[in-house]
Order: sequence, then structure tokens, then C-alpha cells
Amino acid sequence: MVLVFKKFLKFFSSLRFTIWIISLLGLVCLLGLWIPQKHLVKDWYFQWKIHAPKMVAVLDALQLTDIYTSVIALTLWTLFFLNLGLVLWQRVPLIKNRIALSKAKISDPASAGGYPFRQSIELPPGVSAEVPLGLLRSKGYALIEEGGLFYGVKNRLSPIAFGLFHLSFFLILIGGVVSVYTEFYGYLDLAEGESFQGELERYSAIPAPPSFPKIGSLPKVAFTVAKIEPLVSGFTETGLKVTLVDAQRREHHLDINRPYVADSTTFVLKNLGMAPLFVLKDKAGKELDGAIVRLDCLKEKRDHFAMGGLEFKVKFYPDYLLENGKAATRSLEFNNPVFLLTVFQGKTKLGEGVINRGGHWDFGDFRLELGELNYWVRFNVVKELGVPILYAGFALASIAIVWRLLLYRREVIGAFRTNDDGSCLLEVAAKSEYYKSLADEEFTKLFADISAQMRRSA
Amino acid sequence: MAYWEIVFFWITLTIYALATGGYVYSIVFKNPRVLPWLTWLVCLGLLAHTTAIAVRFSATGHLPWSGDYESSMMGGWFIVGGTLMVGLRNKGMRGFAAVTTPLVLIMMGYGYMQNPGLSPMAASLKTVWLYIHVYFAWLAFGAYSLAMAAGVLYLLKRRDSEREEANPVYERFPSIPILDELIFRYVIFGFITDTIMIAAGAIWAKDLWGSYWSWDPVETWSLVSWLTYGIAIHLRITFGWREKRLAWVVIAALSTVLISFFGINFVVNSSLHAFKVR
Repeated sequence: MVLVFKKFLKFFSSLRFTIWIISLLGLVCLLGLWIPQKHLVKDWYFQWKIHAPKMVAVLDALQLTDIYTSVIALTLWTLFFLNLGLVLWQRVPLIKNRIALSKAKISDPASAGGYPFRQSIELPPGVSAEVPLGLLRSKGYALIEEGGLFYGVKNRLSPIAFGLFHLSFFLILIGGVVSVYTEFYGYLDLAEGESFQGELERYSAIPAPPSFPKIGSLPKVAFTVAKIEPLVSGFTETGLKVTLVDAQRREHHLDINRPYVADSTTFVLKNLGMAPLFVLKDKAGKELDGAIVRLDCLKEKRDHFAMGGLEFKVKFYPDYLLENGKAATRSLEFNNPVFLLTVFQGKTKLGEGVINRGGHWDFGDFRLELGELNYWVRFNVVKELGVPILYAGFALASIAIVWRLLLYRREVIGAFRTNDDGSCLLEVAAKSEYYKSLADEEFTKLFADISAQMRRSA
Repeated sequence: MAYWEIVFFWITLTIYALATGGYVYSIVFKNPRVLPWLTWLVCLGLLAHTTAIAVRFSATGHLPWSGDYESSMMGGWFIVGGTLMVGLRNKGMRGFAAVTTPLVLIMMGYGYMQNPGLSPMAASLKTVWLYIHVYFAWLAFGAYSLAMAAGVLYLLKRRDSEREEANPVYERFPSIPILDELIFRYVIFGFITDTIMIAAGAIWAKDLWGSYWSWDPVETWSLVSWLTYGIAIHLRITFGWREKRLAWVVIAALSTVLISFFGINFVVNSSLHAFKVR
């Protein structure tokens, strides 16, 4: 039993297993791109479900239509981190051994193997062995000596970066898990002048509370949307300036890429819409109904609203013009905002017409007036507590990978030998991690520099 | 496109096409004498390429960062610039242009057929993270392309060395062991910049979309690409894969990067990434 366990452990901690797991994770990612995912490309998924219900049912059962959170993916990620942990655990003694500056590493370059670069340098008369050693130290080598032999290493601690790089994956994992279990995610639609006091019912779809409500909590944030100013050039949105005023009367200026952050909660600007004040009157001018309605009608989207028992279908033109008798827009700039409305009473169409800011539209026995024309914005509200851990993981990964792969180790062993004529010879052998020819160039230059400096000091 | 941008774009494309033809000629007809001239031709092409970018910059007020056309324009500049830069230090590496120039030619031709129109900087791109994220993305793409170029030259030179009569053109390229090491060096450089690109992208995504990772197709392909090169590094360091096997791995691996940059739009139109400004 113990033997079987040891065999399993050996297999799970092998790099061969790492390659397999990474390859399988890559395959899962590829499958996720190939098979329409129900949470990512909903429209495609539902179309596919209509046209191939049996196949989609099979894929649903295998969780392949939600592959990134499927049992297969979670198992692979578990195995990946198990493997990573075991590899790290095994490597700790090796790393400790590699970074140790022990005398056991001193060996004679004449007999030591594994050092591809070799050179002999004659010490000029009057130059002691301390001079080349001092020069090596000045080039960043840590040295130990014993009996005319020495061992030097540059970037001695570099193997630690291996551990740190792989450790950063665990930080990213912890950050991700903490985020998932403390996550609060919702959409909040607010028009200019509207206030928010943190009420759950104000969210457009009531969001689920955090999975661990004791750790995660609802955002405790209060503010008023003071101003919304979309910036558009031609057909490109170039900015969305939103001013919020918080409970302490402080102003906060938001934009795309500049969310409002409070109580560990990020309010990201997600969407812009029109918030017109419509007033419905009868023929005599008596007000029947009126309200600011939030319409999601930009970028040619159609929306609708109900007022006074009538149903209005809306199309919006920010820069209205008539093109060959048809309504169109010159650009997405709000130069001449006009609503094209189709009104129904029950299933009966009462009429179709356009209305602009400050204008009115008469249909049947009614008159619709458009007073103010404001905007509303949709905030994507996200509260998750794992983000700092996650960012620490990203930072650690970036630093560690630069440290390990660019500040790699160079090792030098050397021996001082005295010739029959009394002159002294420095015999060196050197090696580097990863890049042999680059290191050859570097060692050639290093020892040429050392020779030149010794000659100068002589 | 601005008028002078069109002019310099076509000059660039013509020069790169001539250089590509020249490299094919020199290899097929075993004529190494034209190689230095071809290097100068590519330099001239880069000059025209830089001018086209500068003209577009002056017309739009921002560097070309988004859309297939701008991606191919800027990406091509990084690849050709990187090729010439490594060639400055080592003459032998100038031969990389034999592989990277046709790659850039195809990329730019494809980009031109997409969306070359001038547009102001979209709101979603106005952040300092754009420069960090995209700059490191292009560095990674450039490095991976050079790794692929070194891989192709390695395979060509290796095959040629097994023949009785060697092609003198290949003698101008770095030696086989150096090419083998260069493949690995460029993969390492690309992997480091790729890591920084993904980390910077995740931080940017949190501010822009509210989520640092959304399993967006471009994100997923970037991860696939990062994992692929991670495997390549492990294969080299741990399993000692080098020479032919590593060369084939890096040639195949570049496809994942090309798909990340240009291939996603072929398949889906739901990417959150601003390769197409919405």
C-alpha cells in the first residue's frame, strides 16, 4: 500500500505529469472556444440548442457547454496545483542546496566536469591571487576559497525565483477563490439626479448575496449621480464623464477605465442610455401621465415603455436626418437627438412619429411632449475581497520570472598554480544556466577584462 | 487612411515584397551576395513603415493600437524592427529577415483588407494600461516571431548541412548551435513579456469590465499561447528538448499567437477585446 502511494506520489510530482496537465488544460481552453459556452456566447448557445438539441443535451450533461467551471476543468486545476505543490516541495531542498555557498562546491578546474568554458590566465609579476578574486567580487561573484582553489557564483539566489514564480500561482489561486466566495456582482441603472443608498432592490436584477456572507458583504455605498456627459466623435465613443457626489458631499469624477471604488467595491461604467422626460396629455391639454423613462436605445437598439395605458416602441437617432425619406443618423454624436416612436393601444397601432427635445407629437386623441432629455448609466458593481492577493500574485510572477530567466546563475571555479619559473597561473572553468553561447561571450569578456585590469595594477 | 499614409503603406508593402522575393531568390539560386543589399532594402522598408505610422499618428492623434489593420501595422513594425535590431549586433542574424519579412507582408496585407479607416481613440483605450499591455504584447509577438524565424533557419541550415554541396547563403546565418540557443533565448524573452502582458491586461480588465478574467476568446487564446510556450520552456530545460524538436515546437507555437491577434475575429464576434473598436 505504501509502495503504491509512493508510486502515485512520484508520478504526481513528476514534470512529465506537469506537461500532461498543462497540455490538457490547454485542450480544455481550446474546447471552450470551439463549443459555444452558455455563459459567454448565450445567443449562439441558444441558437445551437434549437438546431441540435440532442447534441447540446449530451454536451450539457458532460458540462462541456460550461467547460471553464466544469468538473473536468476543476479536476485538472486541482491536479495542476497538487502537482505544483509537490514539485515545489521536492525542489525546496534542491533550491537550498543550490543557493548554499559551501566548500563542497570548490573543485579543481583541471578535473571538474560540466564546465564548458575554460581558460588559463598568467598573473603578471607582483600581482597576488587576491587581485583577480577582488575583480571577480566586483563583477558580482560571491566567492569561497580553500587551498588555492575557489568557487564563485553570480546571481546565487536566482533559484529562489523558481520557487517564487510557482508560488505566485498559489497566490493567484487564493486570490481567485477568495474573490469567488466573497463576490457580489450586480448591475445598477441610475439616471442623472438619482441617488443610491446601497439598497439591494435598486439593482436591475437582484444579485445573489456573497457565497460566504460572513466574509463578503453587501456594498455599503451611497452617492448621487450629479452629471453624465458622453463624448463622441463621429461613430467612436471617446469618453463618458460621470460625476458622483458621495454622502460626505465629495465629488468623484468617473470615466471609462476610471471606476468609482468604495468599500472594496468597484462601480464600473458599463452602459449609457437615454432618460427622457415624457409627458402624455389628452387633446384638451390635461396631463394624463408623465415620467422620466430609462431607455436602452443607443447603437440602434430598440426599446419600449408604457405610459397612460399605451405601449411605445422606441428607436433613437442621436444625430437625426432624413435620408431618402427614411430616418437615419449622421453620427453617434448627440447633435440632433430624436426619438422615432410607434404607439400601440392593446394590439392596435395608433401611429408613428418623431419627437425631439422640447417638442411634441400628436397622435389620435393624445399629445406626447418631450421635456428634459437626460442620460442614465449602468454600473457594473463588483465587490470581491481577493483582488489584492491576486495582484500580489501577478506582481510576484512578473518579478520572479525576470529574476529567474534574466538574472540567471553563472558559476566559476578556479585554481592558482605556480609554475617552475615562479610565475603564477590562474586556471578557470565556468558555466552558466540556459544560454551557453551567450555565456561563452560573457566569460571571454570577463576574463579579458580581469587580465587587462591585472596588467594595469601590475 | 490619410493620403500620405496610403502612399507610404504601399511603398512599405512593395519594399517588403521585393525583399521577400530577394531572399527567396538568394536561397533558391544560392547567391549570398544579394543578402547585404536585402538588409538595406528592409531598412528602407522600415523607414517607410515608420513614416506611415507617423502620418497615421498625426491624423488620429494616437498610435495605432486597435483593429486588425493597426495591429498588423504596429506588430509588423515591432517584428521588422526587432529583426534589424538583433542584426545590428550580429551580422548572421540579419538572415532572420528572410522569414520575418514575408510574415509581416502577409500580416499587413491581411490588416489592410480589414478596417484601415481613421478613427479617434476610443474611450475604452484611454488608459496607461493600454501602453503597458499592448507594448508587452507586441514585444512578445516580436520575440516569438524571431524564435520561429530562428527555428525555420535552423531547420533549413540543418538540412543543408546534411547535403554534399552546402548552400553558401546559409553560411551567412548563425551556426547551428547558436541558432538552437537563439530559439530558446527568444522564447524566454517572449515568455517574460507575455507574462507581464497578461498580468497588465488582467489589471486593466478589472477597471474596464469589472472582472480581471472573463474567459473572453482573446484571453483564453493568450492563456493557451502562454501555456504552450511554458511547455516549450519546460521541454527544453527539464527534458533537454533542443535542436529539431524545439524548432518545430516554436514554429507550431506561433500559430497560437497569430490566432490570438488575428484569428479570433474569423470565428467569433463576441470578444470584449478592442481589436475592433465598438
